[in-house]
Amino acid sequence: MSKPHAIVIGAGFTGTAIAHDLALRGFDVTVVERGPIANGTSGRTHGLLHSGGRYAVKDQESAIECIEENIILRKIVPDVIEPNGGLFIAVTEDDLAYKETFIQGCEACGIPVDEITPQEALRLEPNLNPKLLAALIVPDGTFDPLRLALSFAASAKKNGAVFHLFTDVVDMLLDGSGNVTGVKVWDRTNGERYDIHSDIVVNATGAWVGQITKMAHAHVPIKPTPGIMVAYDRRLVNRAINRLNRPSDGDIVLPQRRLAVVGTTSFSIDDVDYVPIDRQQVELMLQRGAELIPAIRQARERGVYMATRPLIGASGPGRSISRTFKAYDHKDLDNVDGLVTITGGKATTCRAMAEKTVDIVCQKLGLNIPCTTAEVPLTSYRAFYA
Amino acid sequence: MWKITYRVHRQKGHEAPHYDTFQVEVDPEEYVLDGVEKIWAFEDRSLTFRHACHHSTCGACGMRVNGVEKLTCITKIKDVTQDGGTLTVEPLRNFPIVSDLVVDLGPLYRKMEAVQAPKVHPLSMAPWEGEDIRPPKEVPAPPEGGEYIRLPDCLECGICISACPVAASDPDYLGPAPLAAIQIQGLDGHPELLALADSQEGVWRCHSAFECSAVCPSNVDPGWRIMDLRKQVATQRLKTIIG
Amino acid sequence: MKADKHNSKGFWDWFNPAGRDVGGWAFILNRISALGLAFYLYLHLFVLGKLAQGPEVFDQFIAAAKSPLYIAGELLVIAAALYHGLNGVRLVLNSFNIGVPRQKQMFYTALALTILGTLVFATRMFAG
Repeated sequence: MSKPHAIVIGAGFTGTAIAHDLALRGFDVTVVERGPIANGTSGRTHGLLHSGGRYAVKDQESAIECIEENIILRKIVPDVIEPNGGLFIAVTEDDLAYKETFIQGCEACGIPVDEITPQEALRLEPNLNPKLLAALIVPDGTFDPLRLALSFAASAKKNGAVFHLFTDVVDMLLDGSGNVTGVKVWDRTNGERYDIHSDIVVNATGAWVGQITKMAHAHVPIKPTPGIMVAYDRRLVNRAINRLNRPSDGDIVLPQRRLAVVGTTSFSIDDVDYVPIDRQQVELMLQRGAELIPAIRQARERGVYMATRPLIGASGPGRSISRTFKAYDHKDLDNVDGLVTITGGKATTCRAMAEKTVDIVCQKLGLNIPCTTAEVPLTSYRAFYA
Repeated sequence: MWKITYRVHRQKGHEAPHYDTFQVEVDPEEYVLDGVEKIWAFEDRSLTFRHACHHSTCGACGMRVNGVEKLTCITKIKDVTQDGGTLTVEPLRNFPIVSDLVVDLGPLYRKMEAVQAPKVHPLSMAPWEGEDIRPPKEVPAPPEGGEYIRLPDCLECGICISACPVAASDPDYLGPAPLAAIQIQGLDGHPELLALADSQEGVWRCHSAFECSAVCPSNVDPGWRIMDLRKQVATQRLKTIIG
Repeated sequence: MKADKHNSKGFWDWFNPAGRDVGGWAFILNRISALGLAFYLYLHLFVLGKLAQGPEVFDQFIAAAKSPLYIAGELLVIAAALYHGLNGVRLVLNSFNIGVPRQKQMFYTALALTILGTLVFATRMFAG
């Protein structure tokens, strides 16, 4: 049998990680992406390499995924990570009351957590709110969004994957029984339209998965949940600074190059293609960010952006939905063969998402090839353009 | 809300370039890139442009706005036009055009790889805070040991290459960002970098227009760095002559 | 993503003033003055060649050389030489990493001295 051919729709974190995994497992891989690499939610992520601490109390499944993947990503793609750790700080009595629950959660999930004195925290991060009451160190990090996706893409390309960027999937190719056999695409760099046939199609379009499944008369339960991020023009901290409390608005401040980025919010939308910026939320980020890092008020706004999380499940407010991911075989879901959809998850867990998805793909095609992405270091992101 | 006109460079396949105009309603506080994305979302789905992080950490959205190189994600609309005004958006110069506003940054990435530009580096190696300002103040070492690591200032966005008049006539010139990356590493113990910097396409090719420093969105100040690298090259060569 | 249409006009872009900052203008003036001086050198050799053709030609030339148009041309050569030389000093200093953060002020100084010098020559030449 010749190599099986897989089409991956979407070149965000998940799509590029899947392309890399498929290529390593010996597939012929074609990636179709309607924009450049990581132009959707992936590019616009906050950039937090989660230790899992944020989810250690209410969403332990995600927390465990995060800490496991955090360790793997540091090993396979150190070129795009600032591995400086993170702090959870308490600035109110309510925060302080959360401390023990938080520590217990971290311990239950295997997340190393160390308490340091407020004085020590201020020595490490002089721009912290001087009124802080407690500080805990966890192995958070930050990463460069585009370069993380580019590293996976470059590695996939090195192993033979072909990328069609600025190419929209306009329809599915279906056989007589409604099973997916490929995609119809529109290359917007030259206006050409053509068909690509494959043994399997992987829908890795994140918040946009519904647009693709609709073409195959299939469905997935997905709740696009955007949040705002505001970048300020000064690198005020070297670590990820989190509010020691239940996840809420504007409770994380991250360093990135010469910037500090505050995020985020959580609300619902209908149109995922364009999410306008809400200036009230910008103001909220400044207020909430300044509770952690007062010097943000002396910095200037440098950029504002919205990113749309692809949360799984159709009910409940965004904050209560698990951050875990799910891969769906549409044969089981809608009796449509040839199509697998992956969504949900976090940037931090993109490699695990790819592993799970490609496991399903292999199983469907009757192949038994082990995943090696946890051990294989990624190629330089610059190689994608070479 | 403002009503402004975007005049956008278009080019598909091998067709001749032309400009399309779009009337767009925008919040003046929005950024130029938001308007471009709005045109794609609501006016013309065939438009192609590069973007990813929308806050100046990835360097994907470099374009020419009214003729000047900008990272469009941090360029506020109110700073480059007024209500009822026109914005001309064009792709970067001195790179091959893929389509519309998209250029192929491959030549730059290959050069950055050739000069071993650091992808992350210790905090202490962080560039100065701009002209004449010393490195960021001392920060205590992490208690876990080692050093803080950070991503470099240079975004590899290609804006400096686009603004460089020498890069216009010599595609093989290493150019501002790669030369700056050599300068940041220093030439001591790097004979291969000395060879690149002192080559025909190295520091001596620069003609001091300082346009790179004028447009750099990330305080790399490549012009200053090229001049400093010249001094470093001369010093290294003198050392070998004197012995 | 293969592309072959290099988005540049080659050396014509040296003179493209679109989007240029102060340093770019200094560069453009430096290139123009260099080309002007190179052209003048050939013109000069051509005129010298004429002188060898005899006294009549020489006298004709001297008469022409006293016309205001000719003096204006000479002033242009003087301005170009002054600018190119003074800007050259700026660039040499910069190349030793001296005064790079003040390259704009250095350019303004070179330009001011060029204008001043040209004016001095102008008053003398038109008076004489």
